[in-house]
Amino acid sequence: MSSLVSTPFTLPCSKKLDQLTLLHTFLPRRSGRVARPISIQCAAVMGNGLFTQTKPEVRRIVPEPNGSMGLPRVKVVYVVLEAQYQSSLSAAVQALNADRKYAGFEVVGYLVEELRDEETYKTFCKDLEDANIFIGSLIFVEELALKVKAAVEKERDRMDAVLVFPSMPEVMRLNKLGSFSMSQLGQSKSPFFQLFKRKKQSAGFAESMLKLVRTLPKVLKYLPSDKAQDARLYILSLQFWLGGSPDNLQNFLKMISGSYVPALKGTKIDYADPVLYLDSGIWHPLAPMMYEDVKEYLNWYGTRKDLNEKAKSANAPVIGLVLQRSHIVTGDDAHYVAVIMELEARGAKVIPLFAGGLDFSGPTERYLRDPVTGKPFVHAVVSLTGFALVGGPARQDHPRAIEALRKLDVPYIVALPLVFQTTEEWLISTLGLHPIQVALQVALPELDGGMEPIVFSGRDPRTGKSHALHKRVEQLCTRAIKWAELKRKTKTEKKLAITVFSFPPDKGNVGTAAYLNVFSSIYSVLKDLKRDGYNVEGLPDSAEALIEDVIHDKEAKFNSPNLNVAYRMGVREYQALTPYAQLLEENWGKPPGNLNSDGEHLLVYGKQYGNVFIGVQPTFGYEGDPMRLLFSKSASPHHGFAAYYSFVEKIFGADAVLHFGTHGSLEFMPGKQVGMSDVCYPDSLIGNIPNIYYYAANNPSEATVAKRRSYANTISYLTPPAENAGLYKGLKQLAELISSYQSLKDTGRGPQIVSSIISTARQCNLDKDVNLPEEGVELSAEERDLVVGKVYAKIMEIESRLLPCGLHVIGEPPSALEAVATLVNIAALDRPEDGIYSLPSILAATVGRNIEDVYRGSDKGILADVELLRQITEASRGAITAFVNRTTNSKGQVVDVSNKLTSILGFGMSEPWVQYLSSTKFIRADREKLRTLFEFLGECLKLVVADNELGSLKLALQGSYVEPGPGGDPIRNPKVLPTGKNIHALDPQAIPTTAALQSAKVVVDRLVERQKVENGGKYPETIALVLWGTDNIKTYGESLAQVLWMIGVRPVADTFGRVNRVEPVSLEELGRPRIDVVVNCSGVFRDLFINQMNLLDRAVKMVAELDEPEELNFVRKHAQQQAQELGVPLREAATRVFSNASGSYSSNVNLAVENSSWNDEKQLQDMYLSRKSFAFDCDAPGAGMMEKRKVFEMALSTADATFQNLDSSEISLTDVSHYFDSDPTNLVQSLRKDGKKPSAYIADTTTANAQVRTLSETVRLDARTKLLNPKWYEGMMSSGYEGVREIEKRLTNTVGWSATSGQVDNWVYEEANTTFIEDEQMRKRLMETNPNSFRKLVQTFLEASGRGYWETSEENLERLRELYSEVEDKIEGIER
Amino acid sequence: MATTSLQSLRQTFLHRHHRQPFATIYNHETKLTFLFKPSKSTTKYVLFSNLSSSSLATTPTSTTAATTSTTPSLDLLERHLSTQDYRQADEVTRRLLIDLAGEAAQKRGYVFFSEVQFISSDDLRAIDQLWRTYSQDRFGYSVQKRLWEKSRKDFTRFFIRVGWMKKLDTEIEQYNYRSFPDEFVWELKDDTPEGHLPLTNALRGTQLLQCILTHPAFDEAEAGEESDEEVSEESVPKGVEKGNERKKLLEYKPNYSF
Repeated sequence: MSSLVSTPFTLPCSKKLDQLTLLHTFLPRRSGRVARPISIQCAAVMGNGLFTQTKPEVRRIVPEPNGSMGLPRVKVVYVVLEAQYQSSLSAAVQALNADRKYAGFEVVGYLVEELRDEETYKTFCKDLEDANIFIGSLIFVEELALKVKAAVEKERDRMDAVLVFPSMPEVMRLNKLGSFSMSQLGQSKSPFFQLFKRKKQSAGFAESMLKLVRTLPKVLKYLPSDKAQDARLYILSLQFWLGGSPDNLQNFLKMISGSYVPALKGTKIDYADPVLYLDSGIWHPLAPMMYEDVKEYLNWYGTRKDLNEKAKSANAPVIGLVLQRSHIVTGDDAHYVAVIMELEARGAKVIPLFAGGLDFSGPTERYLRDPVTGKPFVHAVVSLTGFALVGGPARQDHPRAIEALRKLDVPYIVALPLVFQTTEEWLISTLGLHPIQVALQVALPELDGGMEPIVFSGRDPRTGKSHALHKRVEQLCTRAIKWAELKRKTKTEKKLAITVFSFPPDKGNVGTAAYLNVFSSIYSVLKDLKRDGYNVEGLPDSAEALIEDVIHDKEAKFNSPNLNVAYRMGVREYQALTPYAQLLEENWGKPPGNLNSDGEHLLVYGKQYGNVFIGVQPTFGYEGDPMRLLFSKSASPHHGFAAYYSFVEKIFGADAVLHFGTHGSLEFMPGKQVGMSDVCYPDSLIGNIPNIYYYAANNPSEATVAKRRSYANTISYLTPPAENAGLYKGLKQLAELISSYQSLKDTGRGPQIVSSIISTARQCNLDKDVNLPEEGVELSAEERDLVVGKVYAKIMEIESRLLPCGLHVIGEPPSALEAVATLVNIAALDRPEDGIYSLPSILAATVGRNIEDVYRGSDKGILADVELLRQITEASRGAITAFVNRTTNSKGQVVDVSNKLTSILGFGMSEPWVQYLSSTKFIRADREKLRTLFEFLGECLKLVVADNELGSLKLALQGSYVEPGPGGDPIRNPKVLPTGKNIHALDPQAIPTTAALQSAKVVVDRLVERQKVENGGKYPETIALVLWGTDNIKTYGESLAQVLWMIGVRPVADTFGRVNRVEPVSLEELGRPRIDVVVNCSGVFRDLFINQMNLLDRAVKMVAELDEPEELNFVRKHAQQQAQELGVPLREAATRVFSNASGSYSSNVNLAVENSSWNDEKQLQDMYLSRKSFAFDCDAPGAGMMEKRKVFEMALSTADATFQNLDSSEISLTDVSHYFDSDPTNLVQSLRKDGKKPSAYIADTTTANAQVRTLSETVRLDARTKLLNPKWYEGMMSSGYEGVREIEKRLTNTVGWSATSGQVDNWVYEEANTTFIEDEQMRKRLMETNPNSFRKLVQTFLEASGRGYWETSEENLERLRELYSEVEDKIEGIER
Repeated sequence: MATTSLQSLRQTFLHRHHRQPFATIYNHETKLTFLFKPSKSTTKYVLFSNLSSSSLATTPTSTTAATTSTTPSLDLLERHLSTQDYRQADEVTRRLLIDLAGEAAQKRGYVFFSEVQFISSDDLRAIDQLWRTYSQDRFGYSVQKRLWEKSRKDFTRFFIRVGWMKKLDTEIEQYNYRSFPDEFVWELKDDTPEGHLPLTNALRGTQLLQCILTHPAFDEAEAGEESDEEVSEESVPKGVEKGNERKKLLEYKPNYSF
């Protein structure tokens, strides 16, 4: 599925395009149509390259010439989001024309999305030229709303009537009915004005509009009669429209044309009043009526003769369905009926409720919950609307939705009908669901806690009608019932499959998950489940024993190459249980294959305890044939992988699977990005099993991929509490020397101490970070201060760096004291929106300083400022520690923060922070500001130490609603806490925010300044940078905004705060040239933010087309050169936004490095180019990702600098492999004509004082604070087995940096060798604890040396070689 | 402005207006309902005019309106089948099914899966028999049942097998529903897929079809029936064989029309 893009048919597009269009429309070919020539490889792109190829012609009805002879003609043009109106309107018009009474009606309809196509838009404008009546509805996409507005505005005065139903204000203002107009909307005190106020509205304005419709008639009598008449007709129109049936629409057209079309002025046209239907109620295709009372409905249900007793019994699962009324009134309900039939056929009862407005929260509560007992009537709810529960496509109210769902307390699924695409368009698209639908109907429902975005219905291109996608309906319904069963089944009978990962595939890696001590966590979960009544028979009595069971016994780490085999699956059995097995043969041959196989059977690794199975998820399988697979755009899961999930679902019979920790491979298997089809692997693999997934709270982006592609209920867990890195060895010595320098510098001992400082700094390899004077050079007092200040600043930077210590264990929240460092950092940020001042700024103010100035001074190495900053930091820690101490009991647990706080706040003097500060120089700190801050910190503290992770898992397992919450960095956004929430990303159209743009400017300006300084005063012409999903979620789009600011454009938000437009910033305002960019988006960013990729591409193309001098617009300069060289239009050359092919992730450089399976750097670079050169084209967005390697290479060859962002303290350069995986530094060098190595920068926005450092500085900082820092590695070692792996991982990632950027200093390897290998005790501990990981560690050292990244003594190498064979023997079981 | 039930709305809707021949995939049952009241001359007229002005223009048939407005019956079905007018036979079959499913189904315009149990085995078998008879055993529910079972009761496989889904031109093998009626085969040719007709589409999922295929009517040993029919079809003149069948049906439920 993933790889349509590659279908290598290079189209001579123009011809084929028209044929394709014709297939769709069955219309005569329009002669004037000129297809845009597409010279690039355009694969499965259809037609105009847009998402939809449908044409309005299928919605055009022209009265028969002889039928309407002599009758006046009335032309109606409509634009709607809801295709369901098409058949109803067509029927209405046909009936009118058949009557041949008053007029001949010509009607033509457009679906909003179609207006993207230039040709269609022209037809639209032309259609408007002689139209009498315009109708619009639900136009909420800004780009298109503006197009509608522009076109209709021109004809508005001439037209007889313009009717726009709930839409963006811009379009609503077009309304005109005689004297009734909304043109003053938002400006005057018209009744409608209230609807658009930007204040936080509860129900969104569509809802208010409906309310208005109900109340306005009362107001009308106070209006002058003619005005009242027009307003009344508008209201009637809305009622007709919402009534939606052909009858209503027929009367609607009669009324409007009779009243406003001049040619019909004299004719008396009778029309009936609108037939009104219930606003909301319960509907069932078999029921004789709609019900407003759920009891009545259930009574009727009980009398159904077509159902057997079992289906009606009290034991049957009951599913609530949420439907859109418009589908029912317009008769476009086949897809709803399909779901109802499927559920009933599978033995479930249904309560299908519908509502006409956009707020479903009321009806949900009313019809699905017993008003008396408060208990839900249902075991699960499935929304078939695709919309957020409150607000539809307009303005959402998530808190209200969450409140309603929390009360209901059942699993909540939001399935999707195709809205913007036809069935076939969705099927052939590698992106899958249209990005706008993803934004509206996937991302927004997630904020309500909605799960499982399964596309269950398609849309027919000609009738616009919805139809079931039978397999998808089956998938949706079986999954919904499975979730409902969780609510029904008893704990003892429930079967749970816990799945752990082994990544990269190595025995030492079983149970990998970011920041998580997996086996201890599983153990803690199982103990808890056991207590709670689940059957966990035979659970051993320690986590250690659990590991042994799964990976055999302790000795098995040495003796057996295999893990514990839980099941051997014969090939026939495998094929019978796995319907898609045959599809895997293309990549993997006949089953069983070599992976997870003994040659005859497929092996499932794991161990069962009672009703709990702990299994090891097979790997991607790259180790099987790495190079072929690593280069391919996508591969499929191997047979062993498929067998694992077949076993879990069909043999073990899991009621739920629990994927344990961040992250596995399932959700990254090939398939559409979002909106899986029958042939997408994640969907096939997960099958019918409800998926619960423990996910690190700081990784919302990948969690979102798991959510969308593997239907996971993602429950967040906390990353380990952060601590300050502290100082050790030489660094500690340095700190002491500096301290004595400060007290003794004026005594004449100054120069002596300074020279000790300088030599110690050299020993600590600080000479690359600080410009140290040669020894023996005479320094003035000022120069001495400066040197000391710079070293001091560096030391403080290391000391105060936050790092997560050890690994988190589920169910063991940090103690209050462990939370101090986190609180200190939370306190370091200003939060102007909440009126909270940061602690450092409050403290700095007491000594008359602005904290920003102190930061600047400290960065420059001004000794006094470094010292002041240190004091501020110390005082912050002290004050917060004092506060935390006061709120905790003797065991270190937080007790009742709020009560404590109240009592504390009651007596001004006893405030612990005040007490503490009174002993420092900051005694006069502003009490009020402190109090506000500490109240906030008190709240945060409660959240940090809250323990909801086990609780939420149990909720999910018992089929309860798990409250959603944002993922991200708890320091920036404490709302991430408490963990144990169903994490989600954010509204993708909400970024970048204005605040993000502000921060982005600071970083870009610093980056450009720094590059200028290091590059002879020249501006960089091009910067190659990376966009990460998580980074942009955490920062609300800072890095996205950075790109915009580099090229000099700014985002423009619409009425709803959604960003869909950009405008250029003038060169005067920018004050520098527009800098060209090469944007490499991670696969996850692409999945989450395809609209923003679109926006970026538009921005780049817009800038390239600005008529500006080349030397002030590098985008234009390069694009022109490239256009000429490649012989393509400028717009095409201006392609700068790249990523992977759809459904594929990462450059795989990381996998190659982790497997040590690469030959030379060239190979890694080729891999990068072949996987990362897919571009998104805003001119052909429907085409998805297209390979444009040539432009990619050319653009990279102009890069003067490479750049990435670090967004949070827990994930730094060597913690994960992603950062080097996407680093193109060496690649750029090889592409550049002059062969010059580009500068490489890392922006660090993890602290209040944002920094732009060079890559090598950052690598050094990282090594010093983690790999080489006793505090860090001892913390890891205390986690045992998993800790060794973490240490090894850091070293492997360091080698990755050597390979991609060459920015790792020799001393880093040397020191690492000293720490972990030379130290005999240390190496013994490592070997004992996790020999497999230790072997990898030794191997990596040898590899670093072999590849020339580390020069060291022969002695060191000899020791490593010996160690390697020693550990090898040990693992193989050869005792020496 | 009265509040009426949705059901009554839909009823009027269906009977009076739902006549645009959705020239595609799945809609046919719905649009047929209004035809159950052919007595209204206006309806008939409207239907006709609409047909000519709509996209059905692409459909090759021209006799549609005239014939479909006739009451569906086994007779009518046989008439179409015997003249190899499978297109009409297909429509009549669906209408028969709706009719057999009861009044509620007629009002609604389609059969709800749980209503299939109320259709008698004889009726279903009679329909099946006619199809098999006039297709050399290539069409009919029992033929479809056999193919469905061969497809491991997987509807996608089955749909592909009987030619109701078409392969898309994508790298990964994928199928989409065929567009009704243009993309269906309305003649019995050598390459017409076995089981292609009569069509029960997936517009509302597969439960209806599943209920038909698992109806007790088709429970009996396939092999025996099959061979019987084969024999009769080859040896007995068609008219005779069919006459018997119909008689049997009429005896069972004489007032079959509506």
